[in-house]
Amino acid sequence: MNWLRILAFVPLALLVLPVVALLYWGFGPMISSQGYSTQVFRSIFLTLLASTFTVLAEVVLFTPLSYYLARNRNALAETFADIPASVPHPIIGIALVVLDSPLTPTGRFLLSIGVNFFNTMLGLVTALTIVSAPIYIKAMQPYFESMNRAPEDFALGMGASRLRTFGSVVLPNSIRGILSAALIALSRAMSEFGSIAIIAYVLLSAPLGLTGASPASVTIFNLYDAGDLNAAVTASAVLIAVSIPIMVALRVVQRRK
Amino acid sequence: MLQVRASLKRGLFNLDAEINDSGFICLSGLNGSGKSTLLNVIAGVLKPDAGFVKTGSKDVTKLPMEQRGVVLVTPDSLIPNLEVDRHLVWGASARKVQIDGESITRTKEALGITYHGRVDRLSLGMRERVSLATALLSKPKAILVDEAFSNIDHREDFIRSFALLCKAETIDLMHTTQRSEDANLADHHYELVAGLTSKAF
Repeated sequence: MNWLRILAFVPLALLVLPVVALLYWGFGPMISSQGYSTQVFRSIFLTLLASTFTVLAEVVLFTPLSYYLARNRNALAETFADIPASVPHPIIGIALVVLDSPLTPTGRFLLSIGVNFFNTMLGLVTALTIVSAPIYIKAMQPYFESMNRAPEDFALGMGASRLRTFGSVVLPNSIRGILSAALIALSRAMSEFGSIAIIAYVLLSAPLGLTGASPASVTIFNLYDAGDLNAAVTASAVLIAVSIPIMVALRVVQRRK
Repeated sequence: MLQVRASLKRGLFNLDAEINDSGFICLSGLNGSGKSTLLNVIAGVLKPDAGFVKTGSKDVTKLPMEQRGVVLVTPDSLIPNLEVDRHLVWGASARKVQIDGESITRTKEALGITYHGRVDRLSLGMRERVSLATALLSKPKAILVDEAFSNIDHREDFIRSFALLCKAETIDLMHTTQRSEDANLADHHYELVAGLTSKAF
């Protein structure tokens, strides 16, 4: 009898059980056509699309920061990078509303150059980026810290700049770490609700027929809030049924790399 | 000319090193005697608690690694995803030094680099030859070799050829080894015992 396995897998049931229950009730006794309407599929598509944009933006914007923090101790910068992960997420939504409100100077400036967060794809992706970037950084920083530094030291010794070393030596050796961190950040972005329920709960104008669509988490909350429990449960089951194969597929691809 | 007078404390380990020579310097010592630590201090990977590092007559103690002109070569030193010929000139292009095709050919011949292909797919010994040649062609002030001669076949011949090429470019060469008989190939020999250097010749 492998007791460690039992000790490991019994708590896993705690994580799996709610999902299994949702799939059972959502596709079984509580199934509702409202739960797999075009509106629900559109919102799931929006969530997947926005989360993908988010992760691409994070890889570009936050890989250099993660590397910098791994090589240069900077407690202040690390604390700043942690803030979005340690506050209730509606606060991020409210912060973005204030930042971009016509009532504030920052908002007047941003709006004058065409930066509008409120109920736009830009606002949605910005909020998702802010809430999931700390997760990305927290995954990338230890990866860079544990990396063999001999190739970097070799390049620096030959006079290569820090930036060139990062681009030609560190990045090519980090594809696996970046994929893995991006996957964690993608899950985090897909599961976000708090901030986007405030800053981008419905897209007022968007390409790909997404005008009028809400992110999946917001759509499910709206169904629940309107008292249609069956529709909320079915929509949740659909979201899980769509996202689990995507996550599994990405994980398989990542393992192969 | 390599002048080092540096001390460093890491837990229970104390490094107290003094080097004052040019040419080919052999640094021998047992596991844990502080060979790699000393090379890391000279290359700028580690900052000494006290003391200085000078290359030529220039004090580089406070300079970042990329401005020291000191290349540290270990068995893991390589630029990923490059073919042998592109790898060989990578350091020279990073430092913006001009090298002509002839000196590349001469270096390849002298160091027995007769193969092609991606450097990260070569055997360890073949890779070490390429890394050392790359360091040499980048024309630094000093090359520090941390056990990177160990997997090379015809090792002594290789070390002799490499040392000659360094001398021709007035590059100081320092290498670590556990075998003190390696010192026969060098101009100078320092022994490290529990962090303390002593000059044999």
